Amino acid sequence: MDVTSQRTGGALIVSVEGRVDGANARKFQKAVESVIDDDDGAVILDMENLSYISSAGLRSILLIAKGLQKRNSQFAVCSLQDAIGEVFRIVGFDKIVTIHSSQGEAVSAMGS
Amino acid sequence: MNVSTSITMQPDAEDLENVFAAVEEFAERAEWPMNLVFQVKLILEEMSLNVINYGGVEGDDPIDIKLKTEGDTVTIEIKDVGQPFDPIKDAPDPDLGLPLEQRPIGGLGLYLVRTMVDEMHYKWHDGRNHLTLITRRLA
Repeated sequence: MDVTSQRTGGALIVSVEGRVDGANARKFQKAVESVIDDDDGAVILDMENLSYISSAGLRSILLIAKGLQKRNSQFAVCSLQDAIGEVFRIVGFDKIVTIHSSQGEAVSAMGS
Repeated sequence: MNVSTSITMQPDAEDLENVFAAVEEFAERAEWPMNLVFQVKLILEEMSLNVINYGGVEGDDPIDIKLKTEGDTVTIEIKDVGQPFDPIKDAPDPDLGLPLEQRPIGGLGLYLVRTMVDEMHYKWHDGRNHLTLITRRLA
């Protein structure tokens, strides 16, 4: 699992690659939080290269989303692979987290 | 195609990596579609970590996993020596309608598993939890 970040337009884009499971979900969350804590703007979590997520990873994303909501930062996820999009829908995350089909779409939505 | 395999998981989340590798190898042999591979990995992770985190399984008590494909049916068997736990009766469904700030941070794993299988059978036998999960999505 790798976490990288870049700034595009008004948003901080955090990309996760590989697998987020019960063995590394905490590490994932800490890695994302250390990047977004240096910032106070909008955050987009790009999952294009995320191949697997379990409830442990969903829990991390929920905690990240709650933290951002508390500091009034916009948060969205983008580019979910099919199986991961299905998991998001099953647990109702599509109702509490904004999902965009591409990074470009997420960036322009944040800008408006 | 009828094939089966046995996987022994050490009671440690770090061993998920080996379990996933074994599932991928088996999936190739059984010609599983990608979404089924994802679902089986997820089911094995959720159930095994439940047993490790809450069932008190540790040390020299591995979790025994068996995967079987028969026609369009996939059977997953999981046996462990943890506290008796019936995932069919002993776990409530989460409230998925709550807004973000009220969402509790747990309880999603078993719910995901339930939505991904067609049948779930549990029994406590010879000092072990026996869980059998069946899915018929191999059309």
